[in-house]
Amino acid sequence: MSAMIEVAGLRVVLPPAVVAVDGVDLTIRPGEFVVILGRSGSGKTTFLRSINRLVEPTAGTVRVAGRAVTGADPAALRAARRQIGMVFQQFNLVRRASVLDNVLAGRLGYVPPLPSLLGRFPAPDRDLALEALVQVGLAHLADRRADTLSGGEQQRVGIARALAQAPAVILADEPTASLDPALTADIMDILRSINTGRGLTLVVSLHQLETALAYASRIVGFRAGRVAFDGPPAAVTPPVVDAIYGPTR
Amino acid sequence: MRRAALFVGLLLLAWLAWDTGADPVRLARGLPWIVDFLRRMIPPDLTVLPATLRGAVTTVEIALLGTAVAAVLALPLGFLSARNVAPPPIFHPARVVLNLFRSVDTLVYALVFVAAVGLGPFPGVLAVVAYTTTSLAKLYSEAIEGIDPGPVDAITATGATRLQVLRYGVLPQVLPLFFSYVLYRLETNIRAATVLGFVGAGGIGFYLQTYLRMIDYPAASTALLVTVAMVMVVDGVSSRLRAGLV
Repeated sequence: MSAMIEVAGLRVVLPPAVVAVDGVDLTIRPGEFVVILGRSGSGKTTFLRSINRLVEPTAGTVRVAGRAVTGADPAALRAARRQIGMVFQQFNLVRRASVLDNVLAGRLGYVPPLPSLLGRFPAPDRDLALEALVQVGLAHLADRRADTLSGGEQQRVGIARALAQAPAVILADEPTASLDPALTADIMDILRSINTGRGLTLVVSLHQLETALAYASRIVGFRAGRVAFDGPPAAVTPPVVDAIYGPTR
Repeated sequence: MRRAALFVGLLLLAWLAWDTGADPVRLARGLPWIVDFLRRMIPPDLTVLPATLRGAVTTVEIALLGTAVAAVLALPLGFLSARNVAPPPIFHPARVVLNLFRSVDTLVYALVFVAAVGLGPFPGVLAVVAYTTTSLAKLYSEAIEGIDPGPVDAITATGATRLQVLRYGVLPQVLPLFFSYVLYRLETNIRAATVLGFVGAGGIGFYLQTYLRMIDYPAASTALLVTVAMVMVVDGVSSRLRAGLV
């Protein structure tokens, strides 16, 4: 497999008529740690959300791990989503549910649907969820209610939920933006260990340049819905920064 | 502009008073009768206490059973009429149905069901179910529309089916609200069920109306006191339960 994520001619128009992504072609290889850089409103979030079709692309194609995402029927789309873990800026945990139940939700694409509606999960899936919690260092909090955890801990639960999917790819949309700056390195280190340890492909959107340069193997700069830069961190020179963020910076 | 609106408003009120025959003098002349009515109610006739208590129990039973059945029936309806869950071709008609059924009061349903299945508590239960199902469904759907979309996104992104998304992304957010709405409805249904007896649908209202018709004011007085006590007890229990939910 030469490409993990293939995006071609992607265009997303959000209602009423905002062109959020305006013709993006991008190929991401297995094992890459791609950071999408750009100001807020540059289309980073919409781009990430159209990779698993949480946002419906207006035009273009998306393929992930050899499966077509665009044009897939509901069942095929679910099968494609299952291999794409997603981490959110606001964590998006079910606040009243336990930490373990939140992580178990990552298994929903795999388990038999009927028992899952009654809250029953097969033992191997429970084991996978617990393993994911161990990986983010929160196994001891499995029984706590999600909303009793600190922000940093909640985001680690969010990462564990994505890991429980046994995904090929993890998309992370501004995973550190709602956290104390001191916790940024914490979360980014966990993401890096997933990338190097499990060989997972990561696509992370960030707005802080320094963090991006410290962790990425490849930087993709977004500006006004288009790719303004694509290259290794070493190639990010002051003119490149201007091209991404605008010369006013 | 503001003055004109005020003037039109006052004019409207004056017309309403005239058209309904609202007359302070008539009220003043009637006051002695009300005082007389109250005086005849004292002391209450406690010999009817066992009968009225049984009536009160029936009223509570009608409200409990009716509310419980409605709470379940309202679930699918609530989801089908929530804008963020059901597709437009479903929730628009569902909304219309809800508003249609809700525009008729429990008492009117009781009249219909008494005619259909005869006297007694059963038509009362049916009436409570008919009104409460749709009014709860409306409250449910509003709760569903007010959820945080974040967890729904997250569950959708795992490759979950639509039902799994409802079960894991939506339900945990709305369940405590649903319970609190059901308890609130139970409180109002106790009051509604009190009057159901007036039209032959069982419960304490039947006794109250019978005593009033027989001009047995002391007995009616007992029925009223029992009603007040019953409502207060149910309200107290229910609000305590609700406080525990939030």
